[in-house]
Amino acid sequence: MFRKSKLILIVCLSVFLLAACSTESANDEVEGEKEVNLLFNFATSSLDPNVDTSYVSLRAGITETLVHLNDEDLTIEPWLAKSWDSKDGQLWNFELREGVTFQNGKKMDGKAVKASLERAMKDSPAIKNALRIESIEADGNALTIMTEVPFPEFPSELVHPNTSIIDVKESDYINKPIGTGPFAVSKFMPGTAVDLIRYESYWDGAAKLERARFSFNEDANARSLALESGDADIVFRPEVEGLENLEAIDGVKVESTSTFRVHQMTMNLEREALQDIHVRKAIDALIDRSSIADTILQGHAEVATGPFPSTFSFAPDYPKKENGMEAAKGFLDQAGYKKVDGVMQKDGKPLTFTLLTYSSRADLPLIAQVFQSDAGQLGIDVKIKQIEIPEEYMAANRDWDLTTYSNLTAPRGDAGYYLNATYHPKGALNFSGTDDDHLTSLIDKLNVTVEQDKRSDLAEDIAMYVDGQVYNSFILHPNTLVAYDADRVKNWITSRSEYYMLTNELDVK
Amino acid sequence: MFRILVRRFIEVVIFVLVITFISFLFVRLAPGDPVLSILQVDDVSITNEQVNELREELGFNDPLLVQYGDWFADFIQLDFGNSYLTNQPVMEMIMSGLPATLELAVGALLVIFGIAIPLGSLAALYRGSWIDQISRAVSLLGAAIPSFWLGLLLMDLFAVRWGALPTMGRDGFRSLILPSVTLGLAITSVYVRLLRSSLIDSLSYDFIRAARSRGISEMRIFFAHAFRYSLPPVITVFGISLGSLIGGVVVIEVIFAYPGIGKMVVDSIRSRDYPVIQGYLLVMAIIVFIVNSAVDLSYRYLNPELRLKERKHGKWS
Repeated sequence: MFRKSKLILIVCLSVFLLAACSTESANDEVEGEKEVNLLFNFATSSLDPNVDTSYVSLRAGITETLVHLNDEDLTIEPWLAKSWDSKDGQLWNFELREGVTFQNGKKMDGKAVKASLERAMKDSPAIKNALRIESIEADGNALTIMTEVPFPEFPSELVHPNTSIIDVKESDYINKPIGTGPFAVSKFMPGTAVDLIRYESYWDGAAKLERARFSFNEDANARSLALESGDADIVFRPEVEGLENLEAIDGVKVESTSTFRVHQMTMNLEREALQDIHVRKAIDALIDRSSIADTILQGHAEVATGPFPSTFSFAPDYPKKENGMEAAKGFLDQAGYKKVDGVMQKDGKPLTFTLLTYSSRADLPLIAQVFQSDAGQLGIDVKIKQIEIPEEYMAANRDWDLTTYSNLTAPRGDAGYYLNATYHPKGALNFSGTDDDHLTSLIDKLNVTVEQDKRSDLAEDIAMYVDGQVYNSFILHPNTLVAYDADRVKNWITSRSEYYMLTNELDVK
Repeated sequence: MFRILVRRFIEVVIFVLVITFISFLFVRLAPGDPVLSILQVDDVSITNEQVNELREELGFNDPLLVQYGDWFADFIQLDFGNSYLTNQPVMEMIMSGLPATLELAVGALLVIFGIAIPLGSLAALYRGSWIDQISRAVSLLGAAIPSFWLGLLLMDLFAVRWGALPTMGRDGFRSLILPSVTLGLAITSVYVRLLRSSLIDSLSYDFIRAARSRGISEMRIFFAHAFRYSLPPVITVFGISLGSLIGGVVVIEVIFAYPGIGKMVVDSIRSRDYPVIQGYLLVMAIIVFIVNSAVDLSYRYLNPELRLKERKHGKWS
């Protein structure tokens, strides 16, 4: 009996030890080498830059795209493509940068880029739909691309990380994509981290760091602890509640940068009450943006005046709006509502709203509660309904009035994406059911306008028109938080797009 | 023997059919639409027509039975399909995550038994004493503390304050310690109390008194008779909890960034990546089936009474 028990125990222990030892230590730190560990909040199980929705390859400096988004002036600029032009917005000529090589030493030329883009479109239906490419011709470093329709915002779509250029002849895309960036993959541990090594022949000058680790942890508290313990040098989105603790640590710096995201109040225009512009204006006036930004987001947000952050060239100077309880009451008065026995009503019918919210963005349900409380003071009954997947619920059900929803508005420096998706009758995110002929014709016009200045002007007009009609109400632009060890890390830039993280300039002291 | 094998085979076939159909049904009837994730609607400008086109292309507009038939036809050729989002073969994804989860489960089991066996045994042997009180306190604490909180506490203590262990990742044995201890401690409480009460029951049986009267040493009575006799209920619970242990390590995997299949499947559920969810459910069902079969067999080894009864009723004749 004893012998058998011992045997079982030994077998168990052996299995355990074998299992534990099978994971050879992935930490190949070399003494004296310059390296950083960046801890990101989304994990990935695949580095394939053409399909990975965590965009790790681009963020970790493994791959690059043809077009770059300038984080300061939020315009697009050359990257792997040196220049581009089109007369009609349909036939595009790209000139690639010379002297760029993949991390296997092979040359990046028109043929390689063609193969990479074609592969991205084959493997990602999203990219196929986004690029709308009909044909690509390559000749040396020149690339001629024909889109299915006139598509002036095409170059800005090439900022998308899923259009990253890789050498498709090297087929281990999942574990070791071969890009043109400053860092090559030395080891990938799916779901945990990717270890990187400097690519000495990087076209823009070899990276200052010799090695880097780009690791993942989805728990905000654990990320903060990793920074405190020294396991990580840079962490993305530490938990807001713990920021004071982090800032109190010697050398730790917290950066809070506004993003291209907007938290908005989506309105269902198919509901009778909301067809009245005065009711929509009343809702807009009721939203106490400053208080929401200060209390719920603890100041780490920019109050939104429209869908696009004010730094974009196409974000107009909106006319100042009336805000607050009295203003809301005034708008409702114009819409014919009166407060009787504490209930806001019109023709004996009380004004009530069903407000959808969802928990995957923790601040949205809190915003919904603040709105519910403020509306209650005015005699409006707001019923909050928690849903799981807002896009699906809003598209399939029309039994709601309002939704606290979060959306990216200009992720690639162009207004076309948001305006088409949200306000065009065919847009997949047009949950409010906006079908305004004038607005549609403006968006259609934007879709065929090639010149950048003209596009910006037109986008500004559309944003202004949408604001005037109050089709949706914009609450705030949440900030991205990054904490890092400033005593050690040099040249770190918190990019607003969150696309570019490990660069050749990043260094340690 | 041949009859047993045939019967087992038929059982397995029926089991696979039932489990795949039910899981397919649950996954497809749950709210959510993978097309929105595949098309990255919150990042790429897409029209409703494009959404519908892809839905049609992927067969989501077909009747459920047709969709199941298509999936099953691939499945019997051992093709579990590819992830909608990453295009990786589902089996490859599961097999790359499974070792990490199993490692964690085995680590947790060692912690569980390392604490539960001595503590439960001593609590039973010295009933009412201070050690029994300690076992009660450990059980209460273990049941009351949420595992994510315990994980963060341990991380703060061992990684931040003492710098002795890594906070996260899967970098060999050291990185396995904190997640295993967290997971193990969270489950230990059940086993301590279960083993204690089961041992107290066993120790009160006549055959124990008979063994004592024959002058057999207390140590031998305890380990060779009472302990062995008290194991079946513990193993039954172990059989049940192993399934949940493997499937339920998600929180631990997230906190410690341990790349197991628990975390992978949660991500897949979030984006409605049907092939991955489907493959995971099937693999988990098979693991639970194997574990439960092993638990059934272990009863016969641990409890000779069962073997006698079976022989009497001709079950194995």
